[in-house]
Amino acid sequence: MLDLTRVKPYGDTLNDGMVQISFTLPVPYGDRATEAARRLAIKMGLEEPSLVYSKDLGQGYTYFILYGKCSHTIDYTKIKVPQVKLEKMDKGEVEDYIRDNIKRDVVVIGACTGTDAHTVGIDAIMNMKGYGGHFGLERYEGIRAYNLGSQVPNEELVAKAIELKADAILVSQVVTQKNVHISNLTQLVDLLEAEGIRDRIILICGGPRISHELAKELGYDAGFGPGTFAEDVASFIVREMVNRKLI
Amino acid sequence: MLLDLIYGKYKTVSIVGLAKNTGKTVALNHIIQEAAGRDMVLGLISTGRDGEAIDLITEKEKPQIYVEAGSIIATTSLLLPLAEATIEIIKATEHRTPLGEVVIGRVIDGGYVQIGGPQTAAGIREVVNTILGLGADLVLIDGAMDRRASAAPSISQATILSTGAVLSRDMDRVIEETLHMVNLFSLPAIEDYREREIIKRAFMKGQVAIMDKGLNIAPIPIKTPLNSGTIIGNHIKDDTKYLLIPSSLATSTVEGIINSGGEYRNIYIVVADGTKIFIPCQEWLKFMQQAVKVKVLNPINIVAITINPYSPEGYYFDPKEFLDKTRYYIEDIPVVDLMLGVNWG
Repeated sequence: MLDLTRVKPYGDTLNDGMVQISFTLPVPYGDRATEAARRLAIKMGLEEPSLVYSKDLGQGYTYFILYGKCSHTIDYTKIKVPQVKLEKMDKGEVEDYIRDNIKRDVVVIGACTGTDAHTVGIDAIMNMKGYGGHFGLERYEGIRAYNLGSQVPNEELVAKAIELKADAILVSQVVTQKNVHISNLTQLVDLLEAEGIRDRIILICGGPRISHELAKELGYDAGFGPGTFAEDVASFIVREMVNRKLI
Repeated sequence: MLLDLIYGKYKTVSIVGLAKNTGKTVALNHIIQEAAGRDMVLGLISTGRDGEAIDLITEKEKPQIYVEAGSIIATTSLLLPLAEATIEIIKATEHRTPLGEVVIGRVIDGGYVQIGGPQTAAGIREVVNTILGLGADLVLIDGAMDRRASAAPSISQATILSTGAVLSRDMDRVIEETLHMVNLFSLPAIEDYREREIIKRAFMKGQVAIMDKGLNIAPIPIKTPLNSGTIIGNHIKDDTKYLLIPSSLATSTVEGIINSGGEYRNIYIVVADGTKIFIPCQEWLKFMQQAVKVKVLNPINIVAITINPYSPEGYYFDPKEFLDKTRYYIEDIPVVDLMLGVNWG
Protein backbone atom coordinates (compact mmCIF):
# COMPACT_ATOMS: atom_id res chain seq x y z
CA MET A 1 0.00 0.00 0.00
CA LEU A 2 1.24 3.42 -0.92
CA ASP A 3 1.38 5.66 2.14
CA LEU A 4 2.04 9.25 1.01
CA THR A 5 3.00 10.25 4.53
CA ARG A 6 5.87 7.73 4.43
CA VAL A 7 7.22 7.70 0.90
CA LYS A 8 10.31 5.55 0.21
CA PRO A 9 12.33 4.91 -2.93
CA TYR A 10 10.97 2.21 -5.27
CA GLY A 11 13.32 -0.49 -6.53
CA ASP A 12 11.67 -3.81 -7.41
CA THR A 13 8.68 -3.63 -5.09
CA LEU A 14 6.77 -0.81 -3.40
CA ASN A 15 8.44 0.50 -0.23
CA ASP A 16 11.57 -1.63 -0.59
CA GLY A 17 13.57 1.60 -0.33
CA MET A 18 16.17 0.44 -2.84
CA VAL A 19 18.61 3.05 -4.09
CA GLN A 20 21.77 3.01 -6.13
CA ILE A 21 24.61 5.36 -5.30
CA SER A 22 27.99 5.94 -6.84
CA PHE A 23 31.00 7.85 -5.62
CA THR A 24 34.77 8.02 -5.64
CA LEU A 25 36.98 7.76 -2.56
CA PRO A 26 40.53 9.11 -2.49
CA VAL A 27 41.93 5.77 -1.26
CA PRO A 28 43.76 2.98 -3.15
CA TYR A 29 41.72 0.16 -4.71
CA GLY A 30 41.39 -2.93 -2.52
CA ASP A 31 39.53 -4.62 0.35
CA ARG A 32 40.02 -1.72 2.74
CA ALA A 33 38.59 0.68 0.18
CA THR A 34 35.55 -1.58 -0.34
CA GLU A 35 34.90 -1.77 3.39
CA ALA A 36 35.27 2.02 3.66
CA ALA A 37 32.67 2.51 0.92
CA ARG A 38 30.26 0.07 2.63
CA ARG A 39 30.60 1.81 6.01
CA LEU A 40 30.09 5.21 4.42
CA ALA A 41 26.87 3.93 2.81
CA ILE A 42 25.64 2.78 6.24
CA LYS A 43 26.39 6.24 7.61
CA MET A 44 24.32 7.69 4.77
CA GLY A 45 21.33 5.74 6.09
CA LEU A 46 21.44 2.76 3.72
CA GLU A 47 20.56 -0.62 5.19
CA GLU A 48 22.24 -3.80 3.91
CA PRO A 49 24.45 -1.99 1.41
CA SER A 50 25.94 -4.23 -1.23
CA LEU A 51 28.82 -3.30 -3.44
CA VAL A 52 28.13 -4.20 -7.05
CA TYR A 53 31.02 -2.49 -8.78
CA SER A 54 34.37 -0.97 -7.97
CA LYS A 55 37.13 0.26 -10.24
CA ASP A 56 40.69 1.35 -9.67
CA LEU A 57 40.93 4.91 -10.99
CA GLY A 58 44.67 4.98 -10.43
CA GLN A 59 46.77 7.37 -8.35
CA GLY A 60 45.13 6.13 -5.16
CA TYR A 61 41.50 6.70 -6.16
CA THR A 62 38.68 4.12 -6.30
CA TYR A 63 35.22 4.36 -7.84
CA PHE A 64 32.21 2.47 -6.34
CA ILE A 65 28.62 1.62 -7.16
CA LEU A 66 26.48 0.31 -4.27
CA TYR A 67 22.88 -0.73 -3.72
CA GLY A 68 21.11 -0.43 -0.41
CA LYS A 69 17.79 0.14 1.32
CA CYS A 70 17.12 3.74 2.26
CA SER A 71 16.05 3.82 5.90
CA HIS A 72 14.43 7.27 5.68
CA THR A 73 10.93 8.22 4.59
CA ILE A 74 9.41 11.51 3.59
CA ASP A 75 5.94 12.90 4.30
CA TYR A 76 4.86 13.88 0.80
CA THR A 77 1.57 15.37 2.03
CA LYS A 78 3.44 18.02 4.03
CA ILE A 79 5.50 19.28 1.11
CA LYS A 80 4.44 22.55 -0.46
CA VAL A 81 6.51 24.33 -3.07
CA PRO A 82 5.62 27.35 -5.17
CA GLN A 83 4.96 26.33 -8.77
CA VAL A 84 6.57 28.79 -11.13
CA LYS A 85 5.33 28.54 -14.71
CA LEU A 86 6.92 30.66 -17.41
CA GLU A 87 5.63 30.45 -20.95
CA LYS A 88 8.39 29.95 -23.41
CA MET A 89 8.70 31.21 -26.97
CA ASP A 90 11.21 29.95 -29.52
CA LYS A 91 13.83 32.19 -31.18
CA GLY A 92 11.58 33.19 -34.07
CA GLU A 93 8.66 33.99 -31.78
CA VAL A 94 10.87 36.13 -29.54
CA GLU A 95 12.10 38.06 -32.59
CA ASP A 96 8.51 38.59 -33.80
CA TYR A 97 7.46 39.64 -30.29
CA ILE A 98 10.20 42.29 -30.18
CA ARG A 99 9.25 43.58 -33.62
CA ASP A 100 5.54 43.75 -32.79
CA ASN A 101 5.57 44.89 -29.18
CA ILE A 102 8.87 46.59 -28.35
CA LYS A 103 9.75 48.04 -31.76
CA ARG A 104 13.40 48.70 -30.91
CA ASP A 105 16.51 46.73 -30.03
CA VAL A 106 16.59 45.14 -26.59
CA VAL A 107 19.94 45.63 -24.82
CA VAL A 108 21.09 42.71 -22.68
CA ILE A 109 24.38 42.62 -20.80
CA GLY A 110 25.72 39.50 -19.15
CA ALA A 111 28.62 38.77 -16.82
CA CYS A 112 30.04 36.52 -14.16
CA THR A 113 30.51 38.95 -11.30
CA GLY A 114 32.95 39.25 -8.42
CA THR A 115 35.48 36.47 -8.18
CA ASP A 116 33.45 34.04 -10.26
CA ALA A 117 35.32 32.73 -13.30
CA HIS A 118 32.78 30.06 -14.37
CA THR A 119 31.71 31.46 -17.73
CA VAL A 120 30.25 28.24 -19.15
CA GLY A 121 26.69 29.19 -18.13
CA ILE A 122 26.70 32.79 -19.33
CA ASP A 123 28.47 31.82 -22.57
CA ALA A 124 25.81 29.20 -23.31
CA ILE A 125 23.07 31.83 -23.00
CA MET A 126 24.84 34.81 -24.58
CA ASN A 127 27.24 33.60 -27.26
CA MET A 128 26.37 33.24 -30.92
CA LYS A 129 26.65 29.47 -31.04
CA GLY A 130 24.70 28.87 -27.85
CA TYR A 131 24.45 25.41 -26.36
CA GLY A 132 22.86 22.06 -27.16
CA GLY A 133 21.53 23.26 -30.51
CA HIS A 134 19.94 26.39 -29.01
CA PHE A 135 21.44 29.61 -30.39
CA GLY A 136 22.59 32.26 -27.89
CA LEU A 137 21.19 35.79 -27.52
CA GLU A 138 23.88 37.29 -29.79
CA ARG A 139 22.19 35.49 -32.68
CA TYR A 140 18.74 37.02 -32.00
CA GLU A 141 17.46 39.71 -34.30
CA GLY A 142 16.34 42.64 -32.16
CA ILE A 143 18.63 41.80 -29.24
CA ARG A 144 21.95 43.54 -28.68
CA ALA A 145 23.86 41.20 -26.38
CA TYR A 146 27.05 42.20 -24.57
CA ASN A 147 28.97 39.48 -22.75
CA LEU A 148 31.38 41.18 -20.35
CA GLY A 149 33.05 37.89 -19.39
CA SER A 150 34.22 36.77 -15.98
CA GLN A 151 35.26 38.35 -12.69
CA VAL A 152 33.47 41.60 -13.51
CA PRO A 153 33.18 43.89 -10.47
CA ASN A 154 29.60 45.02 -9.74
CA GLU A 155 30.66 48.67 -10.02
CA GLU A 156 31.88 48.12 -13.58
CA LEU A 157 28.80 46.11 -14.54
CA VAL A 158 26.45 48.86 -13.34
CA ALA A 159 28.51 51.61 -15.03
CA LYS A 160 28.31 49.62 -18.27
CA ALA A 161 24.56 49.09 -17.87
CA ILE A 162 24.07 52.86 -17.50
CA GLU A 163 26.34 53.62 -20.46
CA LEU A 164 24.62 51.13 -22.77
CA LYS A 165 21.12 51.88 -21.41
CA ALA A 166 20.66 48.18 -20.71
CA ASP A 167 17.16 46.74 -20.56
CA ALA A 168 18.30 43.54 -18.86
CA ILE A 169 21.25 42.40 -16.80
CA LEU A 170 22.14 38.73 -16.68
CA VAL A 171 24.42 37.58 -13.89
CA SER A 172 25.89 34.13 -13.66
CA GLN A 173 27.09 32.99 -10.28
CA VAL A 174 27.97 29.68 -8.72
CA VAL A 175 26.26 30.06 -5.35
CA THR A 176 27.66 28.04 -2.50
CA GLN A 177 26.90 28.17 1.21
CA LYS A 178 29.69 30.71 1.58
CA ASN A 179 28.31 34.17 2.10
CA VAL A 180 30.62 35.81 -0.43
CA HIS A 181 28.70 34.48 -3.44
CA ILE A 182 25.42 35.66 -1.99
CA SER A 183 26.91 39.07 -1.20
CA ASN A 184 28.07 39.52 -4.80
CA LEU A 185 24.52 39.06 -6.00
CA THR A 186 22.80 41.14 -3.31
CA GLN A 187 25.32 43.99 -3.55
CA LEU A 188 24.48 44.35 -7.23
CA VAL A 189 20.81 44.80 -6.29
CA ASP A 190 21.64 47.46 -3.68
CA LEU A 191 24.00 49.21 -6.09
CA LEU A 192 21.32 49.36 -8.79
CA GLU A 193 18.93 50.77 -6.16
CA ALA A 194 21.48 53.41 -5.12
CA GLU A 195 22.01 54.35 -8.77
CA GLY A 196 18.25 54.71 -9.11
CA ILE A 197 17.90 52.31 -12.04
CA ARG A 198 16.64 49.10 -10.40
CA ASP A 199 13.07 49.83 -11.54
CA ARG A 200 14.13 50.20 -15.17
CA ILE A 201 16.11 46.97 -15.41
CA ILE A 202 15.08 43.34 -15.79
CA LEU A 203 17.52 41.71 -13.40
CA ILE A 204 18.19 38.01 -13.86
CA CYS A 205 20.53 35.59 -12.15
CA GLY A 206 21.52 32.13 -13.28
CA GLY A 207 23.68 29.27 -12.13
CA PRO A 208 23.69 25.64 -11.08
CA ARG A 209 22.06 26.29 -7.67
CA ILE A 210 19.83 29.20 -8.63
CA SER A 211 16.05 28.98 -8.67
CA HIS A 212 13.13 31.40 -8.82
CA GLU A 213 12.69 30.93 -5.07
CA LEU A 214 16.27 32.03 -4.43
CA ALA A 215 15.87 34.91 -6.90
CA LYS A 216 12.95 36.20 -4.82
CA GLU A 217 15.21 36.47 -1.76
CA LEU A 218 18.17 37.87 -3.66
CA GLY A 219 16.03 40.66 -5.12
CA TYR A 220 16.14 39.54 -8.75
CA ASP A 221 13.26 39.37 -11.22
CA ALA A 222 14.02 35.77 -12.19
CA GLY A 223 16.45 33.00 -11.36
CA PHE A 224 17.29 30.35 -13.92
CA GLY A 225 18.84 27.01 -12.99
CA PRO A 226 20.28 24.09 -14.95
CA GLY A 227 18.52 23.19 -18.21
CA THR A 228 17.93 26.81 -19.17
CA PHE A 229 18.44 27.90 -22.79
CA ALA A 230 18.70 31.34 -24.38
CA GLU A 231 15.05 31.27 -25.45
CA ASP A 232 13.89 30.80 -21.82
CA VAL A 233 15.78 33.93 -20.80
CA ALA A 234 14.82 35.90 -23.91
CA SER A 235 11.12 35.03 -23.53
CA PHE A 236 11.17 36.23 -19.95
CA ILE A 237 12.98 39.49 -20.72
CA VAL A 238 10.75 40.61 -23.58
CA ARG A 239 7.48 39.66 -21.85
CA GLU A 240 8.59 41.33 -18.62
CA MET A 241 9.52 44.52 -20.47
CA VAL A 242 6.02 44.71 -21.88
CA ASN A 243 4.33 43.77 -18.60
CA ARG A 244 6.30 46.37 -16.68
CA LYS A 245 5.83 48.94 -19.43
CA LEU A 246 9.58 49.31 -19.95
CA ILE A 247 9.41 49.74 -23.71
CA MET B 1 11.49 45.18 24.55
CA LEU B 2 11.98 45.85 20.84
CA LEU B 3 8.39 47.00 20.39
CA ASP B 4 8.79 49.66 23.10
CA LEU B 5 11.66 51.16 21.14
CA ILE B 6 9.54 51.68 18.05
CA TYR B 7 5.81 51.69 18.85
CA GLY B 8 4.31 55.17 18.81
CA LYS B 9 7.55 56.64 17.42
CA TYR B 10 7.78 55.06 14.00
CA LYS B 11 5.21 53.61 11.61
CA THR B 12 7.64 51.87 9.28
CA VAL B 13 10.60 49.84 10.58
CA SER B 14 13.00 47.79 8.48
CA ILE B 15 14.93 44.77 9.75
CA VAL B 16 18.26 44.57 7.95
CA GLY B 17 20.93 41.89 8.36
CA LEU B 18 24.68 42.09 7.87
CA ALA B 19 24.43 38.62 6.36
CA LYS B 20 21.92 35.83 6.11
CA ASN B 21 21.32 33.78 9.27
CA THR B 22 21.96 36.71 11.59
CA GLY B 23 18.50 36.43 13.16
CA LYS B 24 16.20 38.74 11.19
CA THR B 25 13.26 36.35 11.43
CA VAL B 26 13.84 35.92 15.18
CA ALA B 27 13.68 39.71 15.59
CA LEU B 28 10.53 39.83 13.47
CA ASN B 29 8.86 37.06 15.49
CA HIS B 30 9.84 38.77 18.72
CA ILE B 31 8.01 41.96 17.71
CA ILE B 32 5.02 39.99 16.40
CA GLN B 33 4.71 38.30 19.81
CA GLU B 34 5.00 41.58 21.67
CA ALA B 35 2.39 43.18 19.44
CA ALA B 36 -0.03 40.29 20.00
CA GLY B 37 -0.64 41.47 23.56
CA ARG B 38 -1.59 44.97 22.49
CA ASP B 39 -4.49 46.53 20.72
CA MET B 40 -2.70 47.29 17.48
CA VAL B 41 -2.76 46.30 13.82
CA LEU B 42 0.58 45.00 12.62
CA GLY B 43 1.60 45.09 8.95
CA LEU B 44 4.24 42.68 7.58
CA ILE B 45 6.14 42.73 4.32
CA SER B 46 9.39 41.13 3.17
CA THR B 47 11.86 42.40 0.57
CA GLY B 48 12.62 38.72 -0.08
CA ARG B 49 10.60 35.83 1.24
CA ASP B 50 10.21 34.78 4.84
CA GLY B 51 8.39 32.09 6.78
CA GLU B 52 9.62 29.06 4.84
CA ALA B 53 10.49 26.08 7.03
CA ILE B 54 13.82 25.16 5.41
CA ASP B 55 16.56 27.61 4.43
CA LEU B 56 17.16 27.47 0.67
CA ILE B 57 20.92 27.77 0.97
CA THR B 58 21.98 26.09 4.20
CA GLU B 59 19.13 23.52 3.99
CA LYS B 60 18.66 23.91 7.75
CA GLU B 61 15.41 24.54 9.62
CA LYS B 62 14.30 28.16 9.93
CA PRO B 63 11.94 29.80 12.41
CA GLN B 64 8.47 30.05 10.87
CA ILE B 65 6.21 33.09 11.13
CA TYR B 66 2.95 32.88 13.11
CA VAL B 67 0.64 35.84 12.67
CA GLU B 68 -2.38 36.85 14.75
CA ALA B 69 -5.82 37.56 13.33
CA GLY B 70 -6.19 41.17 12.24
CA SER B 71 -2.65 41.57 10.92
CA ILE B 72 -2.19 42.81 7.37
CA ILE B 73 0.44 41.03 5.30
CA ALA B 74 2.05 41.36 1.89
CA THR B 75 2.80 38.10 0.13
CA THR B 76 2.79 36.78 -3.43
CA SER B 77 0.30 34.73 -5.41
CA LEU B 78 2.52 31.63 -5.22
CA LEU B 79 3.35 32.00 -1.51
CA LEU B 80 -0.24 32.67 -0.44
CA PRO B 81 -1.40 29.03 -0.87
CA LEU B 82 1.45 27.89 1.40
CA ALA B 83 -0.02 29.72 4.39
CA GLU B 84 -1.80 27.83 7.17
CA ALA B 85 -3.48 31.00 8.39
CA THR B 86 -6.77 32.03 6.78
CA ILE B 87 -6.12 35.13 4.73
CA GLU B 88 -8.63 37.39 3.05
CA ILE B 89 -7.13 39.06 -0.03
CA ILE B 90 -7.78 42.79 0.18
CA LYS B 91 -5.78 43.97 -2.78
CA ALA B 92 -3.94 42.48 -5.73
CA THR B 93 -1.08 44.66 -6.94
CA GLU B 94 0.77 44.85 -10.26
CA HIS B 95 4.15 44.26 -8.64
CA ARG B 96 5.68 41.17 -10.23
CA THR B 97 8.13 38.83 -8.48
CA PRO B 98 9.70 35.48 -9.41
CA LEU B 99 7.03 33.92 -7.15
CA GLY B 100 4.01 35.67 -8.65
CA GLU B 101 2.30 39.03 -8.20
CA VAL B 102 2.32 40.76 -4.83
CA VAL B 103 -0.98 40.56 -2.95
CA ILE B 104 -2.05 42.22 0.29
CA GLY B 105 -4.24 40.27 2.69
CA ARG B 106 -5.84 40.47 6.11
CA VAL B 107 -5.36 37.54 8.49
CA ILE B 108 -8.78 36.18 9.50
CA ASP B 109 -7.62 33.17 11.55
CA GLY B 110 -4.11 33.22 12.99
CA GLY B 111 -1.52 30.75 11.74
CA TYR B 112 1.75 30.31 9.87
CA VAL B 113 2.31 32.46 6.78
CA GLN B 114 4.99 33.14 4.21
CA ILE B 115 5.44 36.82 3.55
CA GLY B 116 6.88 38.56 0.51
CA GLY B 117 6.81 41.86 -1.34
CA PRO B 118 7.98 43.67 -4.46
CA GLN B 119 11.55 43.21 -5.75
CA THR B 120 12.37 46.93 -5.86
CA ALA B 121 12.69 49.49 -3.07
CA ALA B 122 10.23 51.81 -4.80
CA GLY B 123 7.74 48.92 -4.97
CA ILE B 124 8.24 48.18 -1.27
CA ARG B 125 7.56 51.82 -0.38
CA GLU B 126 4.36 51.80 -2.41
CA VAL B 127 3.01 48.59 -0.83
CA VAL B 128 4.01 49.75 2.68
CA ASN B 129 1.99 52.92 2.11
CA THR B 130 -0.97 50.83 0.96
CA ILE B 131 -0.76 48.69 4.13
CA LEU B 132 -0.65 51.84 6.28
CA GLY B 133 -3.67 53.14 4.37
CA LEU B 134 -5.53 49.91 5.18
CA GLY B 135 -5.17 50.67 8.89
CA ALA B 136 -1.84 49.22 10.07
CA ASP B 137 -0.36 51.00 13.10
CA LEU B 138 3.13 49.69 12.37
CA VAL B 139 4.61 48.04 9.28
CA LEU B 140 7.67 45.81 9.68
CA ILE B 141 9.80 45.51 6.55
CA ASP B 142 11.64 42.22 6.87
CA GLY B 143 14.94 42.19 4.99
CA ALA B 144 16.47 39.44 2.87
CA MET B 145 20.03 38.11 2.94
CA ASP B 146 22.33 41.13 3.45
CA ARG B 147 20.31 43.55 1.33
CA ARG B 148 20.05 46.97 2.92
CA ALA B 149 18.26 49.29 0.46
CA SER B 150 15.12 49.08 2.66
CA ALA B 151 16.98 50.84 5.50
CA ALA B 152 17.06 54.08 3.46
CA PRO B 153 15.02 56.77 5.24
CA SER B 154 13.00 57.15 2.04
CA ILE B 155 11.73 53.59 2.64
CA SER B 156 11.63 53.11 6.43
CA GLN B 157 11.67 55.56 9.33
CA ALA B 158 13.80 53.33 11.55
CA THR B 159 15.94 50.22 11.25
CA ILE B 160 16.77 47.19 13.37
CA LEU B 161 20.19 45.78 12.50
CA SER B 162 20.84 42.04 12.85
CA THR B 163 24.37 40.71 13.09
CA GLY B 164 26.00 37.50 14.22
CA ALA B 165 28.69 34.87 14.29
CA VAL B 166 27.94 33.81 10.70
CA LEU B 167 30.01 36.80 9.49
CA SER B 168 33.30 35.37 10.78
CA ARG B 169 34.81 32.85 13.18
CA ASP B 170 36.66 35.79 14.70
CA MET B 171 34.44 37.70 17.15
CA ASP B 172 36.46 40.90 16.78
CA ARG B 173 35.96 40.78 13.04
CA VAL B 174 32.17 40.43 13.49
CA ILE B 175 32.10 43.42 15.84
CA GLU B 176 34.30 45.41 13.45
CA GLU B 177 31.96 44.73 10.51
CA THR B 178 28.94 45.61 12.65
CA LEU B 179 30.54 48.82 13.84
CA HIS B 180 31.32 49.72 10.22
CA MET B 181 27.68 49.36 9.24
CA VAL B 182 26.59 51.37 12.30
CA ASN B 183 29.09 54.09 11.34
CA LEU B 184 27.85 54.27 7.74
CA PHE B 185 24.24 54.44 8.91
CA SER B 186 25.03 57.12 11.51
CA LEU B 187 27.20 59.48 9.44
CA PRO B 188 26.79 63.17 10.37
CA ALA B 189 23.98 64.97 8.57
CA ILE B 190 24.06 68.33 6.81
CA GLU B 191 22.53 70.50 9.52
CA ASP B 192 22.15 73.94 7.95
CA TYR B 193 18.56 74.41 6.76
CA ARG B 194 19.43 76.45 3.64
CA GLU B 195 22.14 74.01 2.58
CA ARG B 196 19.77 71.08 3.10
CA GLU B 197 17.10 72.59 0.89
CA ILE B 198 19.56 73.30 -1.94
CA ILE B 199 21.12 69.84 -1.70
CA LYS B 200 17.70 68.16 -1.63
CA ARG B 201 16.75 69.92 -4.85
CA ALA B 202 20.08 69.02 -6.47
CA PHE B 203 19.66 65.37 -5.45
CA MET B 204 16.23 65.24 -7.05
CA LYS B 205 17.88 65.99 -10.41
CA GLY B 206 20.06 62.91 -9.86
CA GLN B 207 23.18 64.65 -11.16
CA VAL B 208 26.64 64.51 -9.56
CA ALA B 209 27.55 68.13 -8.78
CA ILE B 210 29.84 70.38 -6.78
CA MET B 211 28.61 73.13 -4.49
CA ASP B 212 30.85 76.10 -3.74
CA LYS B 213 31.08 78.19 -0.59
CA GLY B 214 28.52 80.62 -2.04
CA LEU B 215 26.12 77.62 -2.28
CA ASN B 216 26.17 77.65 -6.09
CA ILE B 217 25.72 74.29 -7.77
CA ALA B 218 27.72 73.16 -10.80
CA PRO B 219 26.77 69.80 -12.29
CA ILE B 220 29.53 67.44 -13.45
CA PRO B 221 28.65 66.03 -16.89
CA ILE B 222 28.75 62.29 -16.15
CA LYS B 223 25.97 59.69 -16.19
CA THR B 224 27.11 57.94 -13.02
CA PRO B 225 29.86 58.42 -10.42
CA LEU B 226 30.87 54.78 -11.02
CA ASN B 227 34.20 54.57 -12.88
CA SER B 228 34.33 58.40 -12.96
CA GLY B 229 36.28 59.19 -9.78
CA THR B 230 39.07 60.96 -11.67
CA ILE B 231 36.69 63.20 -13.62
CA ILE B 232 34.90 64.07 -10.38
CA GLY B 233 38.20 64.78 -8.60
CA ASN B 234 39.26 67.16 -11.40
CA HIS B 235 36.16 69.29 -10.78
CA ILE B 236 37.05 70.00 -7.14
CA LYS B 237 38.24 73.60 -6.88
CA ASP B 238 39.58 75.87 -4.14
CA ASP B 239 36.13 77.27 -3.33
CA THR B 240 34.36 73.88 -3.39
CA LYS B 241 32.48 73.08 -0.18
CA TYR B 242 30.54 69.92 -1.01
CA LEU B 243 30.71 67.19 -3.61
CA LEU B 244 27.11 66.05 -4.09
CA ILE B 245 26.62 62.40 -5.07
CA PRO B 246 22.92 61.55 -5.29
CA SER B 247 23.52 57.91 -6.23
CA SER B 248 26.26 55.52 -5.08
CA LEU B 249 29.61 56.09 -3.40
CA ALA B 250 31.80 53.10 -4.26
CA THR B 251 35.40 52.26 -3.36
CA SER B 252 36.70 52.82 -6.91
CA THR B 253 34.98 56.21 -7.10
CA VAL B 254 36.72 57.42 -3.93
CA GLU B 255 40.05 56.00 -5.13
CA GLY B 256 39.63 57.93 -8.38
CA ILE B 257 38.92 61.16 -6.49
CA ILE B 258 42.01 60.72 -4.31
CA ASN B 259 44.27 59.79 -7.24
CA SER B 260 43.10 62.75 -9.33
CA GLY B 261 45.19 64.95 -7.08
CA GLY B 262 42.33 67.36 -6.39
CA GLU B 263 42.01 69.01 -2.98
CA TYR B 264 39.45 66.54 -1.67
CA ARG B 265 40.68 67.04 1.90
CA ASN B 266 38.98 70.42 2.15
CA ILE B 267 35.53 69.25 1.10
CA TYR B 268 32.75 66.98 2.28
CA ILE B 269 31.31 64.30 0.03
CA VAL B 270 27.52 64.31 0.53
CA VAL B 271 25.35 61.26 -0.16
CA ALA B 272 21.63 60.71 0.47
CA ASP B 273 22.12 58.16 3.26
CA GLY B 274 24.37 55.32 4.43
CA THR B 275 22.76 52.68 2.20
CA LYS B 276 24.31 54.45 -0.80
CA ILE B 277 27.87 53.72 0.36
CA PHE B 278 29.61 50.64 -1.04
CA ILE B 279 32.95 50.70 0.71
CA PRO B 280 34.10 47.72 2.80
CA CYS B 281 35.41 48.19 6.32
CA GLN B 282 39.16 48.13 5.62
CA GLU B 283 38.97 50.50 2.65
CA TRP B 284 36.75 52.86 4.65
CA LEU B 285 39.29 53.06 7.47
CA LYS B 286 42.04 53.72 4.92
CA PHE B 287 40.01 56.55 3.35
CA MET B 288 39.38 58.08 6.78
CA GLN B 289 43.14 58.11 7.39
CA GLN B 290 43.53 59.89 4.05
CA ALA B 291 41.14 62.56 5.35
CA VAL B 292 38.15 61.67 3.17
CA LYS B 293 35.08 63.23 4.83
CA VAL B 294 31.52 62.12 4.18
CA LYS B 295 28.19 63.59 5.30
CA VAL B 296 24.64 62.48 4.58
CA LEU B 297 21.39 64.23 3.88
CA ASN B 298 19.43 61.75 5.99
CA PRO B 299 20.93 59.63 8.76
CA ILE B 300 19.33 56.24 9.50
CA ASN B 301 17.68 55.69 12.88
CA ILE B 302 19.10 52.40 14.15
CA VAL B 303 16.74 51.61 17.03
CA ALA B 304 18.35 48.34 18.10
CA ILE B 305 20.98 45.79 17.15
CA THR B 306 20.19 42.10 17.57
CA ILE B 307 23.07 39.68 17.78
CA ASN B 308 23.19 35.94 17.13
CA PRO B 309 26.20 34.09 18.59
CA TYR B 310 25.46 30.94 16.56
CA SER B 311 26.58 30.24 12.99
CA PRO B 312 24.85 27.65 10.78
CA GLU B 313 28.37 26.45 9.91
CA GLY B 314 28.44 24.85 13.36
CA TYR B 315 30.65 27.16 15.44
CA TYR B 316 29.48 29.63 18.05
CA PHE B 317 30.65 32.37 20.40
CA ASP B 318 30.13 32.49 24.14
CA PRO B 319 26.78 34.37 24.12
CA LYS B 320 27.51 36.49 27.19
CA GLU B 321 30.98 37.50 26.01
CA PHE B 322 29.69 38.37 22.54
CA LEU B 323 26.90 40.48 24.00
CA ASP B 324 29.15 42.31 26.48
CA LYS B 325 31.84 42.99 23.91
CA THR B 326 29.40 44.28 21.28
CA ARG B 327 27.81 46.54 23.90
CA TYR B 328 31.24 47.82 24.91
CA TYR B 329 31.93 49.04 21.36
CA ILE B 330 28.42 50.21 20.52
CA GLU B 331 27.35 52.29 23.48
CA ASP B 332 24.50 54.48 22.27
CA ILE B 333 22.30 51.86 20.57
CA PRO B 334 20.56 49.02 22.49
CA VAL B 335 22.23 45.67 21.70
CA VAL B 336 20.21 42.52 22.44
CA ASP B 337 20.51 38.76 22.12
CA LEU B 338 16.86 37.76 21.82
CA MET B 339 17.61 34.10 22.57
CA LEU B 340 19.31 34.98 25.84
CA GLY B 341 16.02 36.34 27.06
CA VAL B 342 15.36 39.87 28.10
CA ASN B 343 18.56 41.36 29.35
CA TRP B 344 18.96 45.05 28.89
CA GLY B 345 22.21 45.33 30.81
